[in-house]
Amino acid sequence: MKFAGSSCLAATALLMGSSLMGPTALAEPVTATKGESVDMVLLPKFLGILPFDQAHRGAQEAHEELENKGELLYVGPTPENSVAGQIEIMTTAATQGQDVVMLSNNSGDQIVPSAQAAQEAGTRVVTWDSPIPSAEGETVFVAQVDFNDIGVVMADMAHNIMGGEGEFAILSATPDAANQNAWIAAMQRALEGEKYANMTLVDTVYGDDQSELSYNRALALVDKHANLKLIMAPTSVGIVAAAKAMQDEGLCDQIKISGLGVPAEMVSYTMNGCAPEFALWSFVDLGYLTYYTSYLIATGAIAGEVGDEFEAGRMGTFSIEKDPTRDAGNRVLMGPFTVYNADNVEAAAQ
Amino acid sequence: MEGGLMRRLVRWEVLLLVILAVTIAVNSAMAPMFLTIGNQINLFQLSIEKIIVALMMTLVIVNGEIDLSVASMMGLAACAFGWLFQMGVPAGVAIPIVLALGLLGGAFNAFWITVIGMPSLVVTLAMLIGFRGMARILVEDRGITGFPDWFNALGQQPILGPLPLALLVFAVLFVVLLVVLHRSGFGRKVYVIGNSAEVARYSGVAVPRVKALLFVASGFVAALAGLLYTARVSAVRGDVALGFELDIITMVLLGGVSIFGGKGTLWGVLLSILIVLNLRNGMALANITGHLQTGVIGLLLILSVLVPNLVQSAGRLSFKPGSASR
Repeated sequence: MKFAGSSCLAATALLMGSSLMGPTALAEPVTATKGESVDMVLLPKFLGILPFDQAHRGAQEAHEELENKGELLYVGPTPENSVAGQIEIMTTAATQGQDVVMLSNNSGDQIVPSAQAAQEAGTRVVTWDSPIPSAEGETVFVAQVDFNDIGVVMADMAHNIMGGEGEFAILSATPDAANQNAWIAAMQRALEGEKYANMTLVDTVYGDDQSELSYNRALALVDKHANLKLIMAPTSVGIVAAAKAMQDEGLCDQIKISGLGVPAEMVSYTMNGCAPEFALWSFVDLGYLTYYTSYLIATGAIAGEVGDEFEAGRMGTFSIEKDPTRDAGNRVLMGPFTVYNADNVEAAAQ
Repeated sequence: MEGGLMRRLVRWEVLLLVILAVTIAVNSAMAPMFLTIGNQINLFQLSIEKIIVALMMTLVIVNGEIDLSVASMMGLAACAFGWLFQMGVPAGVAIPIVLALGLLGGAFNAFWITVIGMPSLVVTLAMLIGFRGMARILVEDRGITGFPDWFNALGQQPILGPLPLALLVFAVLFVVLLVVLHRSGFGRKVYVIGNSAEVARYSGVAVPRVKALLFVASGFVAALAGLLYTARVSAVRGDVALGFELDIITMVLLGGVSIFGGKGTLWGVLLSILIVLNLRNGMALANITGHLQTGVIGLLLILSVLVPNLVQSAGRLSFKPGSASR
């Protein structure tokens, strides 16, 4: 909690440069009034993968805690129909007169017109996990961890696993997933450091967050790059698919997997050495914080503007700042996250 | 007499009309906002590009052929537009170029099907992959956005009363194709060829010419739909319209068009489109999304294939004894 708060302020001070934050930082953080009626829609990229269900659990926890008289809906499209499905659900939510849509965006800027139409109809759009790239139609983005931190952590995991030298590749989600692209860019910036001089990123491929495609893309990487030592997958779908591919082909001795994954899905691959290290933040917490942020915005307790400070229940105090990872848009930064290995993965997978 | 009445009653279009009426009744009872003009427009807008292409697809399938490449052509058109725009070509100039690309793509399909004589299933399956590949090469792994406001407005703002451009395109295309298919000599040829290309050839119908025209038109309509999609979402990426061909063909088959050609009407397809859209919208308003929604539409398609066959065999059984009197 403390760490989240202070890193948040530090980042703001660093990136904003100015002293605009001075007076607001002194004001009392806003707390939520329980028992109001806010209809909320939690809209994941698609249904059926664990992290989104965990975020839903966090949102439910906050829903009960705040004694919201409104409804919390958890609806999403199928993976094959993700873009059209998200646009459809966004449009329908506005028609239904929902108060907030909490969106993990998988549609790039294609979601913008429907998000803007929703805003005009009085439905706030709070993004989490993955923002709207242009920030148009978005009230605020609840970011899991600082994107630059993710870059450094991924670079360090690669460094540990590869012993500081050799070739590695990236297996990502969709080509314009805003979060994955930002993490990859952050990792590339981190890799410019001297410590990583003997490591070479040879390829970046996309498995569209679909298991079978990711599995095949991982195997294709192995065929294409004879000296590959590591596949870094900054997506919970990709990392499992890649680890399974290496395990099935008996390649775990030569090629390791790392990236961002869910402990419960990764535990067997970490214990058998296919994926010795990976990282993640708590999606339960992300859902919880997103819910609090959205509830406060929908009830008018905060405007969702830079400088707003608020209490998010058990997670402590957060503030809204300009999103330094995009050209436009505001964010709430959750942070921090955990690196999992054979020592701690079993406990986390419970 | 009685048999004729029976057959008229079980006519597919009548059945569709009943399903549609039930769907609309249930929707309006369950969701008060269902009948609002805004929702009715959204209901069309959310699938407008698919239903535009479904109208043209009806003629292609009645003709006994299939065009699996339509969704990839939509994607290619969208990506070509985005690419041209990024290269500095003004949107107003890019639009006709992209439409010409649609004609060209359709002509390419038509060449292999009518001149070389390959099955349309094979040719257009190849181009499903081919057009999509070109689309992905053009925009690579990125999203393109930032089109001029007037272009985005074409896809989002009403231009006649509450109606946006794409809905008007749909209405006009429906009327035009209705006349072409059901009121013109060309339409009769489409049915004759669909029933039997051999018979059509021996009766002096210019079979290749009719087929070629349909595929060129199909490419053009798909490119137009791709542009409309781009304007509606004001952004493109390589996976635009990915997998749409299945939804499109589903709507045509549910409309009572025989996959073997020669049977079916545009009215049937219009009804089936309305059913699918109303069903989707009703389920979305009732917060039924994801796999369950896909499942219900899938069930509907299975029924649409099974029921006519069952009715036909039931009809054969019950009418056979009396067949001498007819």
